Amino acid sequence: MNRSSIFIAIFIVFSLVIGAQAQPEISPERKQAIDSLALEKVKDLGKYISIIGNKNTPFSEANRVIDRALELFSEGSQMGVSSLSSPDIQYYGIREYFQRLMALNYDRVTIEWFNIEYISDLVRQPDGRYVGVITVYQRFTGESDDGMKYVDTTKKDITVYVERKQTQIQGRVIGFWDVLLGDIRVTETKPG
Amino acid sequence: MKSANRILILLLMVVASAGVFSCKSQKKIAAEQEAAAEARKIAKAKADLEILLSDNSGLSLSEKESRLKVIKDMNIEDAEVKQLIVQVEEKLQREREAMLAKERAAKQAQEREENMKVEDQKGLGDYFKMIANSSNLGTSNRYIEEALGLFASPDVPVLIIISKSGDIVDYDRPTTIKKYLEYLKDQEVDRNKIENVVYDANGKITELELIKK
Repeated sequence: MNRSSIFIAIFIVFSLVIGAQAQPEISPERKQAIDSLALEKVKDLGKYISIIGNKNTPFSEANRVIDRALELFSEGSQMGVSSLSSPDIQYYGIREYFQRLMALNYDRVTIEWFNIEYISDLVRQPDGRYVGVITVYQRFTGESDDGMKYVDTTKKDITVYVERKQTQIQGRVIGFWDVLLGDIRVTETKPG
Repeated sequence: MKSANRILILLLMVVASAGVFSCKSQKKIAAEQEAAAEARKIAKAKADLEILLSDNSGLSLSEKESRLKVIKDMNIEDAEVKQLIVQVEEKLQREREAMLAKERAAKQAQEREENMKVEDQKGLGDYFKMIANSSNLGTSNRYIEEALGLFASPDVPVLIIISKSGDIVDYDRPTTIKKYLEYLKDQEVDRNKIENVVYDANGKITELELIKK
């Protein structure tokens, strides 16, 4: 690395640090609102997943809900899927995951999320985004008419990104917090 | 001497008779002038009353009423003027009643519009609750269709305030009313309350602002 490259690298790092410091720290009340908003989005996803997986959900409704659920994710996010029968964890793109969930070979599917909480608080990054990790427990129950029943509980970690953005609504500039979910990783799978 | 007295008496009689004739003449002129003035006053009153009876006077109702009062205060003893006054009074009475009716109608329309807006707001909040609490897909969809009828279009923007700190207002990502109503159906929870509603000229909602409960 020559001297000019070193100088450029130092300049970039310095700029990022200065840039991060230049953005004013938001008040605890506003931070609390953002924390709650991100948690709410994860809860929303849990509900969407239960609707998509539910065999009583009409096909058109499930597809509509898939579109709504996809809006929660950042581009290219992946979902980890585990099973009691295998130690491997498969990762799928979010749309593919939802489509597979819809097509599961059970007669009845119940999915519920619980104990949804932060394991890593939202922290502001040098680029201005806030990043945190929320953990959820998912209980999956699949039943067939022949009496077969599969139940597991998985612990999942969801990376959450929160970014300040602006948009124009009827000529007005609106500043809003955009919450986007990233990869969902399986960290634990247990029976029952 | 006698003849001189006769002449003097004769002169006095002539002077006296001249005075009498002169006085009679002045009274006659005065009477004629008075009659002419009265005739002019009557003519002017008739003309003014005719104008008031016409629909193109260009005067406001209160101006017409003031002008009629001035004419009535003249106490003109003329049958035609009196007849015209009655006609103008009847006409102005009709105009007054029409104006009051118009004012009442405008006030009622304004009250209806305000009530409609309050009803919309109340109705919209009720729809939010009904959609979120409905356990039947068909019923939820019917409520959504009904609620959408309150809006100018399904794409009307919905802003959700997540916090207010002084002048700083933080919003969630903006959505549309159709998506928001479907969100209520999917999530089965009504987390927000109505903060502000913007209407168009047809009384339809064109913008909705909600705030976290």
